[in-house]
Amino acid sequence: MSTLESPLAVAESENAKSAAGPSRSASVAELPVAKAVSPTRAALRQFGKSPSGVAGAILLVLLVAATIFGPFIYHVDPLEIVGMPFAPPDADALLGTDYLGRDVLSGLIHGGRATLTVGAVAALITIVIGVSVGALAGFFGGWMDSLLVKITEFFQVLPPLLFAMVLVTLFGAKLSTITLAIGVVSWPSAARLTRAEFMRLRDLDFIKASRAAGAGSWHLILRVALPNALPPIIVSATLAIGVAILFEGGLSFLGLGDPNTMSWGLMIGQNRNYVLDAWWAVTFPGAAIFLAVLAVSLVGDGINDAVNPRLRRR
Amino acid sequence: MTLLVHLFGKLANAAALLLAVLVLNFCLIHTAPGDPVQVIAGEMGGASAEVIASLRAKYGLDHSLIEQLFTYLHNVLRGDFGYSYYFNQPVLGLIAQRLPATLYLALASVVMAVVIGTLLGVASARRPNGLFSHAVTVVSLAGYAAPVFWTGLLLLLLFGSVWPILPVNGMSDVVHPKQGIAHLLDVLKHLILPSATLAMVFVAQYSRLARVNMIDVLSADYVRTARAKGLPESVVIFKHALRNALIPIVTVVGLQFGNLFAGAVLVETVYSWPGMGRLVYDSILRRDYPTLMAVLFFSAVLVIAANIITDLVYRLIDPRIRAGAR
Repeated sequence: MSTLESPLAVAESENAKSAAGPSRSASVAELPVAKAVSPTRAALRQFGKSPSGVAGAILLVLLVAATIFGPFIYHVDPLEIVGMPFAPPDADALLGTDYLGRDVLSGLIHGGRATLTVGAVAALITIVIGVSVGALAGFFGGWMDSLLVKITEFFQVLPPLLFAMVLVTLFGAKLSTITLAIGVVSWPSAARLTRAEFMRLRDLDFIKASRAAGAGSWHLILRVALPNALPPIIVSATLAIGVAILFEGGLSFLGLGDPNTMSWGLMIGQNRNYVLDAWWAVTFPGAAIFLAVLAVSLVGDGINDAVNPRLRRR
Repeated sequence: MTLLVHLFGKLANAAALLLAVLVLNFCLIHTAPGDPVQVIAGEMGGASAEVIASLRAKYGLDHSLIEQLFTYLHNVLRGDFGYSYYFNQPVLGLIAQRLPATLYLALASVVMAVVIGTLLGVASARRPNGLFSHAVTVVSLAGYAAPVFWTGLLLLLLFGSVWPILPVNGMSDVVHPKQGIAHLLDVLKHLILPSATLAMVFVAQYSRLARVNMIDVLSADYVRTARAKGLPESVVIFKHALRNALIPIVTVVGLQFGNLFAGAVLVETVYSWPGMGRLVYDSILRRDYPTLMAVLFFSAVLVIAANIITDLVYRLIDPRIRAGAR
């Protein structure tokens, strides 16, 4: 049972079907089992074979490192006025200054912290809500499923970005509100995905066996079914980070950024009216968002290919 | 007949969903910080004491919450979505004025995205590991990752100052207004950049989808049969394969309508396109809550309408689906 409960066991069992089907029963009869690779490691190895996935991972690490260690190397306050407004990139301000005369490079470094944090936390909220709803609906079925599907359907009718705009306008443009709003509006796709996974798993033999062995519903959901549903959830979590970063940018662009916290979206939102005077103040933060979303999408695709053996040939 | 029954079910479901959106709006008005009357009047609406008193009476703010909810629903059912004190007119009229511009933009983008996306996807599916296919993959990834307001601003920079061959502002030339056909051409010219910007995001997604579906379909038995019969390759691709590969795209186009609308809000703000997106931006800026709430409601109407239309189109192009099959 223990191997089946480990993460990525689905990927493993799919591999097993094609390659090592008979050896499973044989392994009981003292055949060497040392060759068995843990599914997580197998997926990691597969991920390593995807050049775009690795490139995305490197890009992501670089961006995160720049926002973490940047302030120790580049000592400029992002909110402080350091020179003339709209000073073009030169030796004083490497990437120029914005409409108030604040340093763009420093804004990028500090803004990255806020933007990437919003992205990660909002994605976490998205996944927690989505997986809870989807798991309960898919596992229990019946009235619970009908109810939760209706709720999901309701949330899908509201355009997520627009709904987030209304929430942030009503409840105030603070970074915490923005993060929560993004998480609250974007969970339906994660819920649908998890529900489908759980409906598939519900009727598989190893779940039935656990149930017959006396496992309770919560144990079955959290310890038996969830680990097996993880691969697609991880992929969707990665993509959710990208969506959340884009949403933070979109909200700030519409004037719904937190004016007290520098973020990439806020930089674009505040400087966009002067784009014809100072292209750098808008172009660089936008490029940063672009690179961050690109990086998480590449990683997401890489993981998807690694855990979905069926799709590898594409 | 079954189709009618099916459609009726869909409409009943739509009505229930819209009612739920209204209840949500009501809950939001009452959970938002501050006095609900402030939310109803809009923060910077400059509502006078008399106006506030009349709003209190109109929305029954002295009664219980349940009574207030019914008053609210009653007002909405009569077509009264509140009054925008910033724009100084009823919200419903405001939205009716702005809706066409947004629909032009959205439809132009969808058509552009589906045609270009599908063609790119089909072309790259023919040699999935070829150079062109890789180029399409890269372009679609870039299109997905680039924030739409940023590409919009870059294009505005390009066509506004570097290479000014296209109008980048508004829906028509206000300095030299035109009549008749000339006016129509002028609007189309103004439409090019906003719709291309918005389409870019979706070209990315559709080309990816079309590519994957075409690869699947091209390895299907009926395509092999068609080739074995000696049909020309163009007939095999466009008549036998494409039709089947298009079905998932139609579904996604319908599902994406909400995102399309939200994208339009951003793009309209970049190019000052006078649609609902621009309206959203102004209402956010002025804290004009009634307008914002009504836009949320009407965007839900649009999404539901798009879903029903997709469902019907789906039935049209995929004869395997019959009412009640799902």
